[in-house]
Amino acid sequence: MPYAVTIDNLRKNYAGEHALAGVSFSIAAGSLAGIIGADGAGKTTLMRILATLISADAGAASVLSYDVNTQHRKIRAAIGYMPQKFSLYEDLTVWENLLFFADVFGVIGMERQRRLDRLMAFSRLGQAQDRRAGRLSGGMKQKLALSCALIHTPRLLILDEPTTGVDPVSRNEFWRILKDLQRDGITIIVSTPYMDEAEYCDTVLLLHRGGVLMQSTPAQAVERYPHALFRAESRAGTVRWPARAPAPRGARFVYPSGGALHVAADPQIVNEPALLEALREVMPEIETLHRIGPRMNDVLFSCYNAAGSAGPESAPPPAPAPGHAHNPLAMIRHAISQHRKGRP
Amino acid sequence: MTAPWTGRILAVMRKEVRHILRDAQTLAIVIAMPVIMMFLYGYALTLDIRDLPTLIEDPAPCSETRAIARAVDATTMFKVVGTVPAFGDLIELFRKYHVKAVIRFPAGFGADLRNGGTAAPIQVLIDGSDQNTATIVRNVAGPLIQDEVLDLMHIDPPKPLTVDPVVLYNQEQKSALFFVPGLMALLLMMISALLTSLTITREKERGTMEQLLVSPLRPWEVIAGKIIPYLALAAIDGVIILVVARISFGVHIHGSVLFLAAASTVYVIVALMLGLIFSTVAKTQQQAMLMALPATLLPVIILSGFIFPLASMPAFFQWLSNIIPATFYLQLVRGIILKGVGPLELWQPCAALCCIGLVFFGITLRLYRVRL
Amino acid sequence: MKTTIETRDLSKRFGPHTAVDRITLSVYQGEIFGFLGANGAGKTTAIRMLCGLLEPTSGSGTVAGFDIIRQTDRIRSRIGYMSQKFSLYSDLRVIDNLRLYGSLYGLGKQALARRIDELSALLSLSPLHGRITGSLPWGWQQRAALACANLHRPEILFLDEPTGSVDPVARQTFWDLIQTLAAGGTTIFVTTHHMDEAENCGRISIMIDGRIAALDTPRALKERTGKPTLHEVFLHLVDPHSESLKERA
Repeated sequence: MPYAVTIDNLRKNYAGEHALAGVSFSIAAGSLAGIIGADGAGKTTLMRILATLISADAGAASVLSYDVNTQHRKIRAAIGYMPQKFSLYEDLTVWENLLFFADVFGVIGMERQRRLDRLMAFSRLGQAQDRRAGRLSGGMKQKLALSCALIHTPRLLILDEPTTGVDPVSRNEFWRILKDLQRDGITIIVSTPYMDEAEYCDTVLLLHRGGVLMQSTPAQAVERYPHALFRAESRAGTVRWPARAPAPRGARFVYPSGGALHVAADPQIVNEPALLEALREVMPEIETLHRIGPRMNDVLFSCYNAAGSAGPESAPPPAPAPGHAHNPLAMIRHAISQHRKGRP
Repeated sequence: MTAPWTGRILAVMRKEVRHILRDAQTLAIVIAMPVIMMFLYGYALTLDIRDLPTLIEDPAPCSETRAIARAVDATTMFKVVGTVPAFGDLIELFRKYHVKAVIRFPAGFGADLRNGGTAAPIQVLIDGSDQNTATIVRNVAGPLIQDEVLDLMHIDPPKPLTVDPVVLYNQEQKSALFFVPGLMALLLMMISALLTSLTITREKERGTMEQLLVSPLRPWEVIAGKIIPYLALAAIDGVIILVVARISFGVHIHGSVLFLAAASTVYVIVALMLGLIFSTVAKTQQQAMLMALPATLLPVIILSGFIFPLASMPAFFQWLSNIIPATFYLQLVRGIILKGVGPLELWQPCAALCCIGLVFFGITLRLYRVRL
Repeated sequence: MKTTIETRDLSKRFGPHTAVDRITLSVYQGEIFGFLGANGAGKTTAIRMLCGLLEPTSGSGTVAGFDIIRQTDRIRSRIGYMSQKFSLYSDLRVIDNLRLYGSLYGLGKQALARRIDELSALLSLSPLHGRITGSLPWGWQQRAALACANLHRPEILFLDEPTGSVDPVARQTFWDLIQTLAAGGTTIFVTTHHMDEAENCGRISIMIDGRIAALDTPRALKERTGKPTLHEVFLHLVDPHSESLKERA
């Protein structure tokens, strides 16, 4: 099948707010898809719907050609899911956790030992086998969770921010593992706050306020970048641009990035020396300006800029429509309707 | 080749056992609590009335009044703490001497008796703030003193009618025999319901629930796998209670031990289901506990016939007691331990208990959410 | 330049395991100091010792001029602490949390009200005062937590992975706030796994297996190792054998 996941106009509301407001996209089988976006953009909601943990309010979704509403058992048997919060048993050892999931997924006999050995080898958790899962470091916990999600050789992996709070070395290793898994033919959907990780993906989806703001390969995103990008540095150290200051003459917008200042300008009319001067009027410490190629981080800022917000976090979030928060009767009704939706 | 579902249930069971064994504090409470409560109820808390501090108010002490005082003191119920001459204010008397009963002889009692009769009565004054005690004391003190007086007058009391109450079952009227069945009902219910109410909510709180939901585990498999280890724990507790009852209080089972075990198993399973119902509804462990405690303790203590007799309750509460598992279990246990009765006579409470169990199982299944 | 944090051969052993192995560093007032290292390298243990929450096995240190072994209670009133795990009471309103932490740090009613207004203006929190803290997106909860940690004008702010999983734009906003605080004289001692954020620091240190393996400005470290970004500097120093996936691809 060409597509591992297809979603059509998916909607989900929480207490009057739109967590997902009509999302549609497809993910090709065997690809590594990255989902990025702000907190509250809908990433976790989307992944939970795909994992059949929650139901959408409207729209359709099919995972591995099974419908999420009616064939959830088949989906659950064929996918591996890693939620954002560590969801293994902290008082059981590494080995005991693996065994539990092996048993639950019906992996028995010779095949079981083979897979367990293989997982222990590739996650390099061999020495920590008898350590309680709660005592592992962040990176090791994530590797264990991944191993448990792989025990039944799923065809699709859904990973919700698996590398958050993990140090760069462990992150690197984790993505090496993911790439290896992709080579084995597994489709992987990952959400991540790290833009450099987004660059490792075959396709990137940017979610914003419950909708898809951008979907493309990293290469295409860079190709379609509509601005001329410059990097302004100061010898003294970090460049600090006053918050909410307007963009300097000749620039469309500016933002700090990696200790320097990134300046986006119109590629047709840009004048480098004039730009530098305009920058130094505001920030005299700026010394050098040179043109650079955009990375995913820059693509992100460009998308938000185009969407008309200086960033989803620049303004305080609006209060949700007055709903069940203070109305006990509405709360009960809501609880009952949620409960009914829980019917398999 | 075993079916896959047995493998899954075994996996859940193994996991639960590990959780239980690694939670040393809870384990200690579960094992220690029955022992502590047994001793508490057995020795410290007793319905038997003993050594009531009693004061004698005697304006004219003589051999007759002293004889009566001695007879009173000789009983286990009363303990004479002193004798005072006439005292005016009764309330002040009780308060000053911290006594529960006062026996007040009229002036010149001894002389009257020797002359063949008494005009003035002997007063027995009782601290009525504990109604139960007061009633019993009143019923005992009267005949006791009367017998003694007649004896002093060398009169054989006429006995036209003999009312000779015979107490069947529990001849010695031992409190322990009264408490042990009730304690079993209470402890087994409490431990089972409380512990299982925590288990599913703990998974929710820790976030492991998500992983369970996404796995092939069916709801009934999760329920079965979680129940069995707690069943074992409850069984251990049951055995502890019976052993302590036997060794320390001399309570032994008149009826069939097997039947008792079977009945207890059914009861515990019912209690476990109740706990599971709470845990599927509650969002946090704290909520689960706050639901479980009043819903299990209060009905067992008040409405099952444990302490307060059902027959004396208003009709509504009698009806209510019919949906409380402990009511039927209590009938079963009292029947087996005290009366030695078998399944044939006790089929009704058995059936009732099983029915309740099935209803709870159905409710748990319906409530167990297949999605978050 | 005045130093606000100083340690000398600070160590912590748990039984046979040495979590922190003789670290010596100085942090200057108003500096943004990035305290980096792999998970399990000993960062959290070190921070706990500096905050006076954990007693060192050996070595010495002063924070805000107070000794970290003998004067821990004096330290606590001079520092603010914010971590990824710790956050505010999610069922209270933002203003309730602010008032709570303000009163915990001994701020009088009027001073507290003024300070709350000041920080709320800086952090754009004023319209959110009446909202239940747990109902806000995580990034905004962190802002509120930052405000609470700053009510008593601490000399030093300890931030333990404060930005977590928030997206790059939000993180930059947060760092902007941190830089404003630093410009005002507050020393910032921050740990993070986001290497792009670490670029914003004045100096960084990298802990490996309990020891400080490097301590310098980001620029100097990049020059010394010949790597273009702190991310690659980190990989190079912590695990020289790990190849960045970009080099591989």
